[in-house]
Amino acid sequence: MSRKPCEAAARPDQWVLIARDSLLDLPKKPGDGALFTRLRNPSTGEGALFLFSSCAQQLFEIKVFKEDYHSWFVGQTVQHDGRLFFATPMDALFLILYYLIKAEKEQGKFQPVDQVVVDEAFPSSCILLQCTRAMQSLHHVTEEKEIGSKKFYKYNKEKTLKWLKKKVVQTVKALKSNNICVGGSVHSATFIRSKQMLDVTEEDYTRYAHGLISEYVPEELSADLLKYLELPELSSPAAQPPVKKRKVSDVLVEAEEDYTKFNSTDLKKKKPSNKMTAAQKSLAKVDKSGMKNISSFFSPKSVSKK
Amino acid sequence: MMCENQPGALIKMDLGSLTQTAHDPIHLLPCEIQYDGHAAVDKYFTPTICQGVSAKEVSFRGRPLKGQEIKIPAGYIGLVVEENHRPCSEEEGRTVCMKSTFLSFTQWNLETLPSADDCAMMSLMWPKISEAIHRPVDSEE
Repeated sequence: MSRKPCEAAARPDQWVLIARDSLLDLPKKPGDGALFTRLRNPSTGEGALFLFSSCAQQLFEIKVFKEDYHSWFVGQTVQHDGRLFFATPMDALFLILYYLIKAEKEQGKFQPVDQVVVDEAFPSSCILLQCTRAMQSLHHVTEEKEIGSKKFYKYNKEKTLKWLKKKVVQTVKALKSNNICVGGSVHSATFIRSKQMLDVTEEDYTRYAHGLISEYVPEELSADLLKYLELPELSSPAAQPPVKKRKVSDVLVEAEEDYTKFNSTDLKKKKPSNKMTAAQKSLAKVDKSGMKNISSFFSPKSVSKK
Repeated sequence: MMCENQPGALIKMDLGSLTQTAHDPIHLLPCEIQYDGHAAVDKYFTPTICQGVSAKEVSFRGRPLKGQEIKIPAGYIGLVVEENHRPCSEEEGRTVCMKSTFLSFTQWNLETLPSADDCAMMSLMWPKISEAIHRPVDSEE
């Protein structure tokens, strides 16, 4: 089979992916295409895999759904790797915000945004500046000054919290309209749906949405947002009610280990060589936090005491 | 402004290959098959699928499976992408191609009847939730 001396060339690597159809909008220039690349996860500061559509108009987040002991049939072939990848549109402002906060801590002055979004370890970060919609929404998280024809920005925490609160509110709406179970005691889908109406409080929804949004902001800001939303801090995990069977969270515990494999078998296949640049070295670092298993989003982040 | 093109850091997705993709039937099996490559799915698996009372049924390696059709959410598309050719040098750019597209797949369980509780089914809620998180917020009231 192998025509080339590469050890990995013998077998094609293939993935099953569910993507927003706008990803497939054809590029204006032939030869252009969507781009997978690594960027800094704004919550952890570690590298994670992202996808830009052609011309970088839209950023996509890559998530993995993985259950143990699964494989695919694709037409007349077997694919051993049973994971299901998702490419969903992402608000690039979350990624830019990370750099704005960093710049505020380090320099604390008004700056052009292209001087702020600079990352030696993740050179693709500058592509974020081409995401038109995010660039037009910088005012949600910054103060702006215009000098001559040039715009200068400075991170503003109050505006950011206000913006994040709106994100929480629209997320709560989606959780409700899609019947997502946010309560602690999950027995079965049918049971939840009837029970949900009675037991689940507005606070449960807000807390759950806060947990989802926190995956995209630094920890400190997540804590500030919790206060801003006037959610009381939880005492301890012991506050969780005893639960016989928690179907969704059962899955996530066992599934969570595996999401780095896309990176380890693929992006990090290259053996480190002397020629590696600093950027490549950091790309080769193990990433355990960037790509979370999807099912982790369906567990209650924390359960409030009833 | 120029972005430095780091060949190791970027993987291009060849959208031109989309026009030639197949629409293969896709099945998610509740077992790990330690193999990648050709299999006579149409000869031995597909013909034995039948519609049972409450689920699709099939026998695989002597075990009865129960299955359900899972539709890809509206506005989304299922893709099988592959990297045929892994570059041997760092200078060579990497590309993945579209191998197949699909709008639904069949998810198989070992014993349990398929339901909305199945994890694969629940994972398909992610696009909707994600959309709420990442949609631009309503502008100033």
